[in-house]
Amino acid sequence: MGKTARRRKIRKSKEDWILDCIIYLFAFLVFFMTIYPFYYVVVLSFNEGMDANMGGIYWFPRKFTLENYAKFFGDMTWIRAAMVTVARTALGTVCTLFFTSIVAYGMSFKELVGRRAYMKYFIVCMYFSGGIIPYYMLLKTLGLLNSFWVYIIPSMLSIFYITIGRGFYEGIPGSLRESALIDGATELQIFVRIIVPISKPFLATLALFTSVGHWNNWYDSTFFVKDQELVTLPYKMLAVINTNTITANDMNAAGHAASTTTSISVQLAALVISVAPIICVYPFLQKYFVTGLMIGAVKE
Amino acid sequence: MKKENLKRRIKQQRALQVFVWLGILYCFIFNIIPMFGLIIGFKDYSITSGIKGIFTSEWVGLKYFQQFIGNYQFGKLVRNTVVLSLLKLVFTFPAPILFALILNDMKALGVKKIVQTASYLPHFISWVIVSCIASQFLSQGGVINSFLMSIGLVKEPVKFLTAPEYFWGTMVTLDVWKEMGWWTIIFLAAITGINSDYYEAAQIDGASRLQRTIYITLPCIKSTIVVVLIMTLGNLFGGGLSGSNFEQSYLFGNSVNADTSQIIQTYVFDVGLSKGRYAYATAVGLIQSVLSVIMIMGSNFAAKKISGDSLY
Repeated sequence: MGKTARRRKIRKSKEDWILDCIIYLFAFLVFFMTIYPFYYVVVLSFNEGMDANMGGIYWFPRKFTLENYAKFFGDMTWIRAAMVTVARTALGTVCTLFFTSIVAYGMSFKELVGRRAYMKYFIVCMYFSGGIIPYYMLLKTLGLLNSFWVYIIPSMLSIFYITIGRGFYEGIPGSLRESALIDGATELQIFVRIIVPISKPFLATLALFTSVGHWNNWYDSTFFVKDQELVTLPYKMLAVINTNTITANDMNAAGHAASTTTSISVQLAALVISVAPIICVYPFLQKYFVTGLMIGAVKE
Repeated sequence: MKKENLKRRIKQQRALQVFVWLGILYCFIFNIIPMFGLIIGFKDYSITSGIKGIFTSEWVGLKYFQQFIGNYQFGKLVRNTVVLSLLKLVFTFPAPILFALILNDMKALGVKKIVQTASYLPHFISWVIVSCIASQFLSQGGVINSFLMSIGLVKEPVKFLTAPEYFWGTMVTLDVWKEMGWWTIIFLAAITGINSDYYEAAQIDGASRLQRTIYITLPCIKSTIVVVLIMTLGNLFGGGLSGSNFEQSYLFGNSVNADTSQIIQTYVFDVGLSKGRYAYATAVGLIQSVLSVIMIMGSNFAAKKISGDSLY
């Protein structure tokens, strides 16, 4: 009896060992495949563009240079695109945060007349749309095409986050509002002074997703904006890919003789600059987005 | 009496009603009005007649729908849309479940945390950036091709980004790469919620780790899997959970791989915004919208049947 028990233990640990090997190998592969492409792009962005065209760079820059970054910061079109992107992200996030949370707060009030009907209406708006062409015509009619406001106004209200925010605000005791009302506060004052400070987890989640969405958005700049002074960073990067397929052949011959950079290598510098803030911020907001995703998926 | 009561209630909550009505008005402008715009799919509309033309131009019935079905590209567009969507359902949907099981079995918590945090990263990166990285990484002289050739798996560089036959495979792989870590969060949270007594009991009964995973973990997270599956099916033709079909086809599609990369959504953009055939493009877009509505309704119905609770 003792013998069989011992044998089972040995067998089990052997199986454990194999399983652990597979698990850690797989985890390492996932880790490596996630991180390495980013690392690779960083390496390329610090390498001379013409030299990088020859390939064969994997771990470290072969001809180290800061030229690509210098070119980025020296080029007004890139700087302008970066500034537009920063501006839309900041303003867009503030607007969405305020508008979405105030509507969600209104919806959270259980005695609100028409609450169920309003909710149905919002759900319909969330799931059905007129498609891109009627939407484009609407933007045109509103004069939003080719305007900075096309980045801000059409995305000011997130219906999905109304449903989440409503659930969050329902958890706040109604007595807070009532006692403030007795003290003579208006609803807007109550919202700004009392509700906003205690709803940080919800606002942080919303702020994270909204700002990342604005930062990454290439769509509106590509389809709704023609003015080159108003385009965003993602659009500029996209434009480099699109033009590069045409000019790749004459790249070596044309006008780049004195420079070691290429449009691609400058684009990679831009890419690193635009990814860097995300990499720096998201690990610290994990607890917020993890709960945000959970509420979203379970939709209590 | 009751009416008086209602009036008083509304008066009391006047400010809150204003907050909500601002939202309702906003949605009316940005969501409901474009829905009315859909009728141009049935009309002989030209952009020169402006917004008024939506109502005044002549009805042409199903003309544009027939035109689309008769179009030589129709079969290709439908095939590409369906195949790409189904491939994502088969690969992108189960990948996070598998990854969650693997992460859950890791005992070194520090390592687990690092791997998991790294795996979220691509979710926060836009498809534009992914396409920039991919155009370096998967190019013919890129890292992947150099690696494949150095181990002798292929003789000449694989045209991942240009050859039509590799488009679907490359897109599904990139979709898994970008979204797997993110959706793992849900499954991992579900696994964490499982009562540890089950595992202890199974261990006493001599169940191996693999057996515990198959007979305890998986059945316990079944309801989460079903919920996520239903969400995926609801957006099947948009590309499932990540809804990446349009962005991928638009950003990675080119004239060389158009045979497999063009989908209904990119076609709508092409004929509508580039070629200015608004009415026709609206009609084509409507076909996809109707399909999506059916999928959403169907999945919501399924959710009700299975869990006794509607998703929305």
